[in-house]
Amino acid sequence: MRLPELKSEYIWAVMMIFFLIPAIHPIGLPFPMDPVTYEVYNIIESLPEGSIVVMGGGGVFAFDLESSAGMIAMIKQMARKGLRLVTCPVWTEAPQFHKYVIDAARVDKDKYGGPWEYGVDYVLLPYMPGGDMVVFDSFLKDVHATVSVDLAGTPIDELPLMQDLHDYHDIALWICPHWGFVSVIRIVAAQYGITCISPAQSTAYAFFSPFMEAYPGKVYMLNGYVGGAQYEALVGIKGLGHKVMDSYAFASTLIVLFIVLGNITMLSRMGGEEE
Amino acid sequence: MLTLAIFSMLLGDNKFFRWAEATYTATVIGHSVVTGLLTLKDRFYPLYTGQKPILIIPLILGITSLFVVWRRYAWVSTVAMALMIGVGTGISIRTLIATDVVGNVRAVISETAKVLEGSPATRLGYFIRIVFTICALLYFLFILVPKGGPGGKFFNYIATIGKYALIVYMGIAIGNTIQQFVGTATVAIDRLISTWLGLS
Repeated sequence: MRLPELKSEYIWAVMMIFFLIPAIHPIGLPFPMDPVTYEVYNIIESLPEGSIVVMGGGGVFAFDLESSAGMIAMIKQMARKGLRLVTCPVWTEAPQFHKYVIDAARVDKDKYGGPWEYGVDYVLLPYMPGGDMVVFDSFLKDVHATVSVDLAGTPIDELPLMQDLHDYHDIALWICPHWGFVSVIRIVAAQYGITCISPAQSTAYAFFSPFMEAYPGKVYMLNGYVGGAQYEALVGIKGLGHKVMDSYAFASTLIVLFIVLGNITMLSRMGGEEE
Repeated sequence: MLTLAIFSMLLGDNKFFRWAEATYTATVIGHSVVTGLLTLKDRFYPLYTGQKPILIIPLILGITSLFVVWRRYAWVSTVAMALMIGVGTGISIRTLIATDVVGNVRAVISETAKVLEGSPATRLGYFIRIVFTICALLYFLFILVPKGGPGGKFFNYIATIGKYALIVYMGIAIGNTIQQFVGTATVAIDRLISTWLGLS
């Protein structure tokens, strides 16, 4: 029996349908929990109210979206706990990403009726040029010497939160939802001893996870959307992480199906050629 | 519209896709220009207000660095470039040695100790990591290695395992990259469905 030729357009169309199903109706397929995710959750949970957390680093917006699943859940947890957040973007697309995740977490008092007030509970700083590690070093030594205004152009001296943030002594935790986590490890964790967490992209996780062994108790990573879904489960939300996990499961099943189909086609053709 | 246009590439090259591609490229360039101008305003705010007159030095260096695009006067930019590279390297080199070299050696030692504790599966996992790390490192050792004889043969075996370790690593890296792209596509579809169509 000769199997018909399967055009790539058909494969993509079927794949798209399999993506759409869980995106419209998240199924909530089960996934394993990582002990590191529990540790990260407990670290944020144990911070005293009013602690300042920095969300800093740099990366490409499109790929950083993978980190957003975990980051949004973390922001929700921080807002609920009464923690404060300051951003430190070192790539040109990072300020927009920071704004996006805070907006997506719907924690702003004026916009969504959430618990956070801009300037008091969180501050968005503008892009800081000069190279990741140079900026981190300068930021941790003297925040006010490194940056003068926020993203909207307001002098940071006029923002109540920035009155409490002067140098690394005032930072309780650093979260990096970007590809460039290694620069954060090199300066923030290794040199200044601040605990660093990254809801990392899966590719970044593969590259930088050995640093968790190198700096135990100082460096933590969540693995891509899986880590994001795990964190969402701990915070008690079903967000992007859950949707993507369902899509992964569907797409993986489909890929296996196509591999089997492809092999059957190949074997059937080999038989035909021999005849 | 742009998301749909980009996805239309799956059906083959078309005008709709090319329009979205050009729009995206122009937006990225436009965004970079605007960010650059805003950064200039933000960074030199204390200079404009007279709080930090010393910022005139980085401003001059920044302007001189632009001469790099003008072949005849490109030499003007050398001081700014040298300073930038020098400071960057100076700050990163000490941390690179501490984290990437010493830190990773510490990680390997720590993982070696873990081969003796935990469940059999965990022990095996750490054992494979240690063996793969050492063999992959030895694969890149080209000097001070035995050539020929039993020693040379043994080293070749080690290097071959190292080569396989690198292939496994590349496979994992590609797998992760595909996973990342799948996730990015899902996010784009999710945005279309939830934000645009309001279906979930």
